[in-house]
Amino acid sequence: MAYKPQYGPGQTSVAENRRKQMNPDHKLAKLRDVSDKDLVLCMGHRAPGSAYPSCHPPLSEQQEPACPIRKLVTPTDGAKAGDRVRYIQFSDSMYNAPCQPYQRSYLEAYRFRGIDPGTLSGRQIVECRERDLEKYAKELVGTELFDAALTGIRGCTVHGHSLRLDENGMMFDMLQRAVLDKKSGVVKIVKDQVGVPLDSEVKIGKPMDAKWLKANTTMYHSVSGIGFRDDPEYVEYIQRIHSLRVKYGFMPKEA
Amino acid sequence: MTEATFPQCRIDSERFMNPETTERLLNQIISVPGVRRMVLNGPRLPATVPFGPAKGSANPHPMRKTIKVGDQEMELQVHVGTVLLELENCDVIPALRAAIEPVFKDFSFRIKEGRFMKTEPSLVDYCKYGPNADKDMIGLADPNSKSRPVIIQGTK
Repeated sequence: MAYKPQYGPGQTSVAENRRKQMNPDHKLAKLRDVSDKDLVLCMGHRAPGSAYPSCHPPLSEQQEPACPIRKLVTPTDGAKAGDRVRYIQFSDSMYNAPCQPYQRSYLEAYRFRGIDPGTLSGRQIVECRERDLEKYAKELVGTELFDAALTGIRGCTVHGHSLRLDENGMMFDMLQRAVLDKKSGVVKIVKDQVGVPLDSEVKIGKPMDAKWLKANTTMYHSVSGIGFRDDPEYVEYIQRIHSLRVKYGFMPKEA
Repeated sequence: MTEATFPQCRIDSERFMNPETTERLLNQIISVPGVRRMVLNGPRLPATVPFGPAKGSANPHPMRKTIKVGDQEMELQVHVGTVLLELENCDVIPALRAAIEPVFKDFSFRIKEGRFMKTEPSLVDYCKYGPNADKDMIGLADPNSKSRPVIIQGTK
């Protein structure tokens, strides 16, 4: 019988959402249209429409050493062209954000190629070749992995993940990169990832409502959503991993 | 530094408060006689970007505004989420609760009784601020800060 990955334990909707997001066969629901130009503006690595700067000549123009691995692995478009390595970083609020740092790294590893994800407690960064990054970022921002109020594209000064929300439901941001337009209810990004004001604001769409967020979150939260202890299968799995890691620390010798 | 003899309480709101809400809340608090001192807590909102590639550039933020409390104007430096209070006595708390309840229409709040301000300087305070640090500020805010406490007149 062919191996079928399980992606993760758990019986709650949070666990199910985690599995769905990780499963590359599951097509992520598209919730908003973000143009290439808007994404480039938000990330702030190059001027929209400019050529991709490169850090080495295209692979077709340079001599490659004889290497069996290079023959096995097809380079990504960015690697082929010799693009620079650039990043996008997200902060996710604890209050039922649709994705969260560990989950992001898992799902990116399952879905994308040629990436280097970095996971921290309240933020997650993914680095890759620039044109690959723009392709991946479109999926990360345009689909159900993103919420305009509870997810932030933040290169620095990322604090906000574990803080209370603002009165209008936005996640705290010291640099206020995204602002909620009171009249239209649309969130506008007014600064790039690192806090440099944009020449033109980027409309990212309306925040999702509380019901959708609660149904689609991958974050356990006992007050605003589903508590971690309400999922005994997940608790058992984590306890097993914890126990095995502790035992491994003592280097047990098998008989 | 605060005196251990005075009771203290803390007001926590479910959400961070806008400057307008903060202004309403503080004006309601000062309308209750018996509040000696207040500290506004929350994440800082610096005037310039503190680090990263945009370091030093202006940081316009809609939550950093000048509010008027009593007859005093003060510039908010934090996004207020918690207010610490030092009271004359515990009897003030029910009146305080009644006064601030109308401010929180859209989200909830809690008043906790306890000890939230330092009453003794710690060794770390001594190491950080030295032997001549301002005793009135130590344990409440940074004694080295140039901004001074706001004194609201006419509450007694």
